[in-house]
Amino acid sequence: MNEKDKLEDIFEYTLDMFLKSAGKDHAEITQFNRWRDAVVDANMYTFEVPHLHAQTPQVQVLRENGEILDLICFASYNYLGYSYHPEVIQSAKNALDIYGLGATGSPVLNGTFDIHNILEKKLSEFFKRESLGTSLFSSGYGANIGVVSAYCHKGDYVILDRSSHASLIDGAILSQANILMFKHNNVEHLEKVLNKIDYENSRILVCVEGVYSTDGNYGNLSEIVPVAKKYGATVLVDEAHSLLVAGPGGRGVAEECGVLDEVDMIIGTFSKSFGGVGGCLIADKELVNYINYYARSRMFSCAIDPGVTGGLIKSLELGSGPDGDQKREKIKENAKHLRSLLRDKVDIGTAHSWIIPVIYGEEKLTIPLSDYLQHHGLDISLMMFPAVPKNRSRIRAFVTSEHSPEQIEKGAHILLKAAKKFNFLLDD
Amino acid sequence: MTSNNGDCLVWNFDFALTTFYEVDAFQLESLIPPQLSLQEAAPGIGLINITAFNFVKGQLGALPEFQELILSAIVSPDLSRGVPSAAMFVLSLTSTCQEHLDHSQDYYKLPVVELLTESSIDKINHEINFVDGNGKIAQIKNCAPVINEYNYSKRYFQAFTKEGEHVFISDVFIEAPLFEHQESGDTGKLYEHPFFKGIEVDDSDVTNFLQMVNEPGSAGKQTYFKPTKFI
Repeated sequence: MNEKDKLEDIFEYTLDMFLKSAGKDHAEITQFNRWRDAVVDANMYTFEVPHLHAQTPQVQVLRENGEILDLICFASYNYLGYSYHPEVIQSAKNALDIYGLGATGSPVLNGTFDIHNILEKKLSEFFKRESLGTSLFSSGYGANIGVVSAYCHKGDYVILDRSSHASLIDGAILSQANILMFKHNNVEHLEKVLNKIDYENSRILVCVEGVYSTDGNYGNLSEIVPVAKKYGATVLVDEAHSLLVAGPGGRGVAEECGVLDEVDMIIGTFSKSFGGVGGCLIADKELVNYINYYARSRMFSCAIDPGVTGGLIKSLELGSGPDGDQKREKIKENAKHLRSLLRDKVDIGTAHSWIIPVIYGEEKLTIPLSDYLQHHGLDISLMMFPAVPKNRSRIRAFVTSEHSPEQIEKGAHILLKAAKKFNFLLDD
Repeated sequence: MTSNNGDCLVWNFDFALTTFYEVDAFQLESLIPPQLSLQEAAPGIGLINITAFNFVKGQLGALPEFQELILSAIVSPDLSRGVPSAAMFVLSLTSTCQEHLDHSQDYYKLPVVELLTESSIDKINHEINFVDGNGKIAQIKNCAPVINEYNYSKRYFQAFTKEGEHVFISDVFIEAPLFEHQESGDTGKLYEHPFFKGIEVDDSDVTNFLQMVNEPGSAGKQTYFKPTKFI
């Protein structure tokens, strides 16, 4: 097999192929590394690429071969630009000076600081319901696995949208409850699934998301939440991609859909619009008290870093006020601008959020396309099977409020140039 | 790419329709040997594969043209041999040719069931309808509304089978112009039948996961290696 054939072979592989090998040896590790090494040797390895400064709309990255590339960034979840906002950084620095680097313990034991309580209180108040409390987690992933696995147990039911994030799926597996899935955003199928179980005598948790990041579409909350409640289910909405961005006050898609008061658990992530790291559950105080002790990902993890917590408090303050209102307007305007430049030229799906998919189709294009985009000035996220259907591989552009019109235009120009080269222009 | 024993037979076909269906993983788990593990599409959702071939006249030297239907569970592959597109534990095999069934049982250690009594294949529209003495088995059709392009490819698969307590593995290569898709839609019907023993297929929730069809009129080749002991 010559080098070219070998490379084409490597391009055909998708990550699910290295998941597990039958047999006693762990051949999946050998084969995965063979694949990774081949991509690195071809100088096409764009994953895990180190960024050299903050996640601004213009970034620099360092490739494995030592190349430094200047890129327009559409790969970051820093939707409102708070990860580098001067007031957020100052607030983090102040907290760092007072509390030191780490929390050095579980939040239930010694790891809770007063600024954690301040953040919890402000988040609860943000949702304007007296009965609500907040539980903080050191990651969004930890929030979902911790909450789902603490709330549900053997014999219970966790019902998931088929496009659910891995953290919800893993939480459901960890809970040992019965896992059922309904077709993505399909309320009729959800009802069919609910009817299959003895819902009157069962504990059921229905998990959905505000925005699904593969297509950038909204969760069908206005239909799904009432149906789930009709069957006596508890409803969890993961607003990872939508907190501070969707809804008139930034309270997420549940607010925008008018079902916020019917939702039992809101999951938030601080690594996206907040610009930091961590996660939270916002729910009735009694439930929060229980989760604080029984969510093992919280109990057995260190509390969020104090410096980060200080920054998050400022992000929330900004995002829930006039600054947030302006940025929410701006991000929608920017997304509309990018869509208008791509629509009818490439397949961007039908969603209307700040996550814009550009479908290029074949899995085997992923590695060369990703490399091409980086070398032509674009930092962007690519996604392929099994995360999305076969031949529906896609680029995902995460638009932020901080992109300038020029950056959006340049980004669109690079994307269309790539579409021409890799034959996924619509009129081709 | 693979480490097989080099002892293989080449089977020439002019029709192939393969469909992966989602089924209850718990049911499927009980049908595979303990040395193997299911590959799930999602928690609790296992995959079965049903493939129909039309083999052209002259296989094994003198066989007439015949059709084959094979049912497998999708399992984790043996990656020490190479990286296949999929690995299958074969659950049932039927055919319109008794000699082929006898050969499959002896040479490939495949679990054969009784001979097909009726089979129809629509090579243009990618549709099959198979029946045996126990009744209808399956009516399967391609559900993609549009076929954009057939890509000539050589796919590597692994086929596991069992004899007594022992598990065997074969390398299988398929070469043909293929179209693969994950469109949802009407793929026909699977019937309650001994061919599907242990799997509830007569359920509206048995949905298709993936389909692959060959280009009408094109010649395809299946290179199927003699099984060797796995563990």
